[in-house]
Amino acid sequence: MTAPRGDSTGTRTGSIYDLGYRHYEGKRNGRLYAMWSLFVESLRGVWGFGRPMSAKAVPLILAGLYALPAVVQLAFSSVITQQAAKSGKAPELLNYQSYFADFSFLVFFFCVAQAPELVCRDQRYSVLPLYFTRAMGRIEYALSRLAALVLTLFVVLLIPALALFVGDVLMKPDAFKAIGDELPLALPSIPAGALAALVLGSLSLAISSFSPRRAYSAIGMVAYILLMEAIPAAIYSIGSSSGPNATDKLFLLSPLTSLMGATNWFFGVPLSPNDFAGTLTSAGYLGGAFVTFAVATLVLMYRYRRLPA
Amino acid sequence: MPLIEATGLTKHYGPVKALDGLDLAVEPGIIGLVGANGAGKSTLIKILLGLLTPTSGTATVLGMDTVRETRAIRHVVGYMPEHDCLPPDVSATDFVTHMARISGLPRAAARERTAEVLRHVGLYEERYRQIGGYSTGMKQRVKLAQALVHDPKLLLLDEPTNGLDPAGRDEMLDLIKRTGTDFGITLVVASHLLGEIEQVCSYLLAIDAGHLLQSAPISNFTRRTPVLAVEVEDGADRLVDALTAKGARARRDEARVLVAIDSDVLYDTVRDAVADLGVPLVRIRQERGRLEDLFRDAAPSDVSPAAGSVQ
Repeated sequence: MTAPRGDSTGTRTGSIYDLGYRHYEGKRNGRLYAMWSLFVESLRGVWGFGRPMSAKAVPLILAGLYALPAVVQLAFSSVITQQAAKSGKAPELLNYQSYFADFSFLVFFFCVAQAPELVCRDQRYSVLPLYFTRAMGRIEYALSRLAALVLTLFVVLLIPALALFVGDVLMKPDAFKAIGDELPLALPSIPAGALAALVLGSLSLAISSFSPRRAYSAIGMVAYILLMEAIPAAIYSIGSSSGPNATDKLFLLSPLTSLMGATNWFFGVPLSPNDFAGTLTSAGYLGGAFVTFAVATLVLMYRYRRLPA
Repeated sequence: MPLIEATGLTKHYGPVKALDGLDLAVEPGIIGLVGANGAGKSTLIKILLGLLTPTSGTATVLGMDTVRETRAIRHVVGYMPEHDCLPPDVSATDFVTHMARISGLPRAAARERTAEVLRHVGLYEERYRQIGGYSTGMKQRVKLAQALVHDPKLLLLDEPTNGLDPAGRDEMLDLIKRTGTDFGITLVVASHLLGEIEQVCSYLLAIDAGHLLQSAPISNFTRRTPVLAVEVEDGADRLVDALTAKGARARRDEARVLVAIDSDVLYDTVRDAVADLGVPLVRIRQERGRLEDLFRDAAPSDVSPAAGSVQ
């Protein structure tokens, strides 16, 4: 798409292979295209494409670990069916709504490992000025990175749901009927996964963006989760001897707990008192999750507005 | 229309005045921007790029206001920062292609321009290797390539020869000169080394403490000075002693020995002194006007030991 040779004002005679410098007169796209390009590059970066093998290993292993229980159940679905037929009892299987609750810490590890990849490298190696002197604003940069992480997490979260779905269908004698039966149970995984991806993605990216060093970002995320899970639980338990009290609202600050509560809302199951102390309903946790996402995204954008270029 | 115009440009960082009422009007060409460290070179460049908002005053690039028309300016400007700005774990080709796409070039055009620009800066097969394994010289070339890849009308280079050895420095300067003359792109080259500016630039802006000190064609600044610079690998002190003993006015300036040229026989004196001492000689050349001289009222010919402290 380059235009013919530009004016050469020099007297240098180029070699026969040297076409000289050619000016570019083709199409120049705007900022949406720049955002799209950064989004694609971010996706490649998260999964380590175009990077050394070691960069691919971590995301694949962590995503694999999260999907492992579901995939194992899928692999052994025929065995499980035979066992169930012999014993006459319905097999106890992993279900969609509790899968996230049981294994969400693995998705969180994925964030700890890969969110810094998106926002720390450019700070550490001072690449940001190259972006900000191009057709890319600071907010656009932050949002493109966030979109890539959210999509990645969404995929990571949905792989096990898909494996469970395939496994459950295969276990039934009549596959077509099974699809009809299973689909209403499985479909809420999609909005639930999207919500979890938005909350975990925005939260981990916002925390990571405060340090150019991966290690500090990772420590920051782990510390944040530990404190936010532990402190509300501790405060609540101090006051809970006299029954449920208002401090249970603090659980909204615990990212993983409130996500578990919020994802249950999509499946329409009541919260089990064993897992959730206090009086908050799944709808309450859902609201809390949206607020967390909004605040984390604002913090991320604020951080990029303030970063020196 | 002047390429770059500034009126009363002021930038304060708290109590520090990086730029203080700077006025300029610059025509296209290869423009050298010189100033000591902290004179405000980088601040000026960042204001022209719209990375910083001036405290007061206005600046325009190609007739566009740097505050209101930042986006329009960025399509026609390329920037090579002073500091390292390359991630180590991607190849030069991937990185420059990505930067071309961020500048808005469609995928195929981005690839084509990347290959072309990397060839121009002299990176061939190495361009598929990871940047982390590159030498400083190669990294500087990649930095220049990413600034050129979207075919800007104006290139802002901040200390492009930072960290390069003499050979790499000469190659980079040659590249800059070719970019300006053959490619027809206007360049602003910030440097604290007048010697470099003199080699490649046609016009010079000197700033000091946020003020415009000089603005004129380069030839006004870089007349040869009556000082001979003798570079030796070691034994500079012995050479100074030997030359002083022979009646020449010499003093040491880091690794070099500066000798005042008071007569034609001085060249022979230096040659003999070097030969007698057997010191490893790197080069002898006539010193030209230097940045320090521009910022100092003292005559550049003054090389008596009293004027410059021995370092």
